[in-house]
Amino acid sequence: MSTFTDYKKELMDAAHNERIRIALSRAIASYRANTNAALKKFPHTIKMAEEVRAIKEKAIGEMEKLAQQACEAIESNKGKGYIAKTAEDALNIIDKLVGTGKLIVKGKSMTGEEIELREHLEEHGNEVYETDLGEFIIQKLGSRPMHILSPAIHVPREDVAQLFSKITGQQLSTDIETLVATARKLLREKYFEANIGMSGANVVAADTGTLFLIENEGNIRLATGAPPVHIALVGMEKLVPTLGDACKVAEVTWRYANYTIPSYVSLVSGPSKTGDIEKVTTYGAHGPKEFHVIFMDAGRTELAKHPILRQALYCLRCGGCLYECPVFAVTAGHFGDKYFAANGAVWAAMISHDMEKAASLAYTCLTCGRCKVRCPMKIDAPQMIVAARERILQGK
Amino acid sequence: MDKKSKGLIPPGLAYMADNVISKHNILGASKGAGAKWAKDLNLPKEAETIFFAGCGYQYSGELESLMSLVRKMDKSAIGSELPMGIAGLQKKLGIDLVGVYRKVSAKGGDSEGEPLKDAVKVLSKLGVKFGYLADDEPCCGGLLHYIGLQDEFAQNARQVYDQLKSHGVKRIIGIVPSCTYTLRNLMPKYIEKYDLEVKHFVEVALEGIRSRELRFPREVKVTYHDPCQLGRYLGLIEQPRQILKAIKGIELVEPQWASGEWATCCGGGGGFEAVFPELSEILAVNRAKELVDTGAQIIVTNCPGCIMQLKDGLKQLKIDNVEVLDLAQVVAMAMEV
Repeated sequence: MSTFTDYKKELMDAAHNERIRIALSRAIASYRANTNAALKKFPHTIKMAEEVRAIKEKAIGEMEKLAQQACEAIESNKGKGYIAKTAEDALNIIDKLVGTGKLIVKGKSMTGEEIELREHLEEHGNEVYETDLGEFIIQKLGSRPMHILSPAIHVPREDVAQLFSKITGQQLSTDIETLVATARKLLREKYFEANIGMSGANVVAADTGTLFLIENEGNIRLATGAPPVHIALVGMEKLVPTLGDACKVAEVTWRYANYTIPSYVSLVSGPSKTGDIEKVTTYGAHGPKEFHVIFMDAGRTELAKHPILRQALYCLRCGGCLYECPVFAVTAGHFGDKYFAANGAVWAAMISHDMEKAASLAYTCLTCGRCKVRCPMKIDAPQMIVAARERILQGK
Repeated sequence: MDKKSKGLIPPGLAYMADNVISKHNILGASKGAGAKWAKDLNLPKEAETIFFAGCGYQYSGELESLMSLVRKMDKSAIGSELPMGIAGLQKKLGIDLVGVYRKVSAKGGDSEGEPLKDAVKVLSKLGVKFGYLADDEPCCGGLLHYIGLQDEFAQNARQVYDQLKSHGVKRIIGIVPSCTYTLRNLMPKYIEKYDLEVKHFVEVALEGIRSRELRFPREVKVTYHDPCQLGRYLGLIEQPRQILKAIKGIELVEPQWASGEWATCCGGGGGFEAVFPELSEILAVNRAKELVDTGAQIIVTNCPGCIMQLKDGLKQLKIDNVEVLDLAQVVAMAMEV
């Protein structure tokens, strides 16, 4: 069977899955209500989003320069910065830092998903724990994320209860609080036993080398704060010139991800240090002694050259578009690959170079354009889709 | 273009694209079949302003039959093999598309022409002077652009432009949103010094009705479905609503959230229905539900594709007391033309 036939079957199975539809319709209603409320409370966000679009347009054109600058800043903060040209390079750098037989706690990262980082580390004899609750569920289910921010959006509580009962060997109720407490208990010690903590980043300020980590659960703070080593894998599109720019990007990101303010935003620029004894700077006080940041290109600078498809790199990964997509509403992330919907199609064509997958996704887009109305970056998905289809048919 | 890459076009679309290129209409119907709706209207063929009817309405009967066939197949066991293509399926299953057309015309209702006839009557009553190219009306080829066949689209665009110019056309009144967008926004990108003025029916009608008294034959609750290409693409969101609000007897009700620029697609966008017939139907049902939940007795819209989808959606929902009409039909009723 062809890729398209398999894909279509998967899509239709999802479309006939009542659970996905119920989970999604609830999520969509609550996303819209929360986002409208957040934008009403902080109306400056809309203007700020326009500013951010300008920041991103410029930054995407100079990713290599910004990555260089960020590496220098991180080095001067006594961390280590790396530029990985390809996914393979990134994995090689990580292999050298990690080795084998390590216990790793991980924050959720789409860039990690992109290069199948967890699977890679496990294959190299490491024990990896996803610490984001949704991602933890996905990992234990052996499934894949179905939304960029809410990876387990398609899994109802009954299924989580069943899964956690199996893991703990106890019969757990479907009470959500109980399930959250179970995950907390399962992961708690891992943070302190772990050799390495891993994360991505939502945005990075090149001038100071500062990573912005936006979250609500608190798992990223623990995963990047407790272990002795912190390794961050960052797509180069996350770089912006200054700390001020990064603050704006972060605020727009969480607002369109339906939050007035998230519970936690960590700014990490270097390893933990203290000068409290005789003003002698010593590294590895309470936090990690080592801080490594890998800026990954893997096709991004190439994608940036395309006048229309480069818009995919402006994406802040707020996930808003997905809640407005009529196809996503009935199929969730099955309308996707590494990323979802229109951006997923562009990614498959330009980054993964999987043309059959790209064609399948590109022709699943209705080109209805409602996602563009939602998008804080005003990414023109229909325009990208038509350009992607053209490119796919040209065999490029 | 090499064959392998072209093989990535989903079959339903490839079939329609071939029709546009070889037969100059998306269904591959024979020349002139589309123009029969206008035979009693005595519209001049040569005029500076023309009414552009488009494939969607002129072949809507055929499209409906074809889609219902394709959907049945998509749901059946054969459906999993659909990528072999509509054309291939026709052959394999011995389905005769020409026969399907004949059956449609034999029904004799000519109902597919109604929105077109009404639009023409409304425009005439409003004093607009225009012609209709009939057999010589080209296919705008917009579908080629959306499929990603830009070279083919460019070539078609040149032919369309030359054809229109050879008839002395200066202004176009479109009725299908997609054709209107293609003629107004896409063609100028491919034709240097493009000089055709393109308006959609809702713009012309709104100008014309301002000084008139319009009354719908009965008191009725109406909701409006924005076609993606009319609302989000052409930005014509207020115009159809102003027309509806100007008609006495009509109470306009809107779905919560999903209207105007936030309107939900009917599931028939960009040839999607030909690639994912069954999924497209699910989306049609979802949209029909949103619209019916307003309590409206009539769903008004402006697109043959949306009408087909929404009618199918209502059918699946087993709702038979809600009508789906083109705005032109509603205006015609309100003007008693």
